[in-house]
Amino acid sequence: MNIVVCCKAVPGLVTDLKIAADGKAIQYQGQLLAINECDEYALEEALALKRSHGGQITAISMGNIKALDILYYALAKGADKAVRVDCESQDPKVASTVIAAALRKLDFDLVLTGTQSRDTLGGQVGIVAASLLAIPFAYAVVDVEARENHTVKVRKELGGGRYAEVELMLPALLCVQTGIQPLTFVPPARRIRARQQPVASFSVADLGLQAEQLVTQGYRFVGVRPPERTHQVELLQGSPQEIAAALLHKIQESL
Amino acid sequence: MPRDILVLVEHSAGKVDSLSSQLLAIGQRLAAEMKVELVAAAIGHQIENVVEALQAHGTDRILVVDDQALPLASAEVQAHVFAEVARQIAPRLVLIGYSLVGMELTPAIASKLGINALTNCVNIELRDGTITVTRPLFDGTMHAHIAMEENVTAVVALQKGSVPATAPSAKKAVVQSITIDVNSIPSRSRVLEITEEPKGDVDLGKAEIIVAVGRGIGDQEKIHFTAELAEALGGTLACSRPVVDVGWLPRERQVGASGKSVAPKIYVACGISGAIQHLTGMRDSKRIIAINKDPNAPIFQVAHIGVVGDLFEIVPALTKAAQEAQTR
Repeated sequence: MNIVVCCKAVPGLVTDLKIAADGKAIQYQGQLLAINECDEYALEEALALKRSHGGQITAISMGNIKALDILYYALAKGADKAVRVDCESQDPKVASTVIAAALRKLDFDLVLTGTQSRDTLGGQVGIVAASLLAIPFAYAVVDVEARENHTVKVRKELGGGRYAEVELMLPALLCVQTGIQPLTFVPPARRIRARQQPVASFSVADLGLQAEQLVTQGYRFVGVRPPERTHQVELLQGSPQEIAAALLHKIQESL
Repeated sequence: MPRDILVLVEHSAGKVDSLSSQLLAIGQRLAAEMKVELVAAAIGHQIENVVEALQAHGTDRILVVDDQALPLASAEVQAHVFAEVARQIAPRLVLIGYSLVGMELTPAIASKLGINALTNCVNIELRDGTITVTRPLFDGTMHAHIAMEENVTAVVALQKGSVPATAPSAKKAVVQSITIDVNSIPSRSRVLEITEEPKGDVDLGKAEIIVAVGRGIGDQEKIHFTAELAEALGGTLACSRPVVDVGWLPRERQVGASGKSVAPKIYVACGISGAIQHLTGMRDSKRIIAINKDPNAPIFQVAHIGVVGDLFEIVPALTKAAQEAQTR
């Protein structure tokens, strides 16, 4: 089974946030990019499926040259190939269009990705790409079972402790939940070796995309700031003993 | 021509879900401000009770798609049906809940309609006549305020929040049945069955005091600090998703969108940053106490009482104080 894992390079601490002059994007200073944690779980699931069913894993990421780091990381973890799509957009519709176009160039039975990225927290790109490719999809998947008849059976969360067991014909796209497999450690030597491997690169022109497909449309950012607290939190201060006494009093009066 | 607000309703066991009730209340306020109609759409089979319940939510119209295939329809089919309903009334705004079901359907519906989806929103309001939404960025440490352009339609998926009351309305909504040939919708997936998490020994729903531990605990070996606090307070130990993902506590103790939703008298969050998936499951708690070393952690947005500090100092001190109070 050939699997493509869509992973995003996301910043850790970000500073100096501001809105771009045209209102279409948020600009910021970001520190080191790392693989989005949700997507790392997708990679782990791909590796687990490969161990039991064989096939090739291709890691793909859309982003600038800095996204290469997470693709080397994916290779170090065990991906067979890596592809970078040279395009930057925070807009989910644009990103899905680009990812769907890149997927059309790749050979896959299954696409795995996470549920959302920690920077934009949108959770859209996987499913919109699946819709554009007209392939079935499932979100918040906690278990994947590959079956004989070119299908997968998955368990997905419905919330509140309920699940749906769903059968999907391949090719299909799954947004997997965190915790689907344990995260594994990659020895530094493998990470260094992975940097010798080639990473293919697609430009948007390679993907046959037109400029107007890459424009953020329909909305503009008018503010970006820390959340307003809906109700003021009472912050306790003092020594741990003083705080504990105050907390205990608050707890007892609420019962 | 006025373009209406369409709310896609989630329901279970004949009842409108609380998140959908919240959307209807927000929709009612927006519709009044925009001078348009509020339309609710419910899909399913034999959902007369849901339609009846929707009458109390101040809608102008209720659209119903009833088909016996719908309760177990695949996400592809459900998205197709909702998109078709939306297409028929050409609304200005489609509101949907950012539940797990909404997370799956929203992008698919928007894609079928060729429009934007604004997901994970914490607020929607008219600002100087412009529809403006607020949504989190960067793990919830920042909020973006986004203005929708004039005459552009979008699907807006809203998080569960505090539920505004629906204004009482004497008007009776017109119920309109929409016929869609559900069986002819192409689908390459099918739902085999719906299952429930087997009931464990822990009933978080009944607990009056919950002590919840998050990733901030750092190490399975240290979970006992919070377990001891729970015991000293006569409460129940719970946790956020990352603690379950790494196998430190079993799934039955997970609070949040995918685990249990709880509303105890006291909720003590230890080392929980407050990802929205967690907040969804506990924000209705009567008194929320948060202990976290990061003053910007989103948990402090819902907490009533906060301690910015080291949980390994505060938690044992509180445990000791509670134990001493017991023996007195």
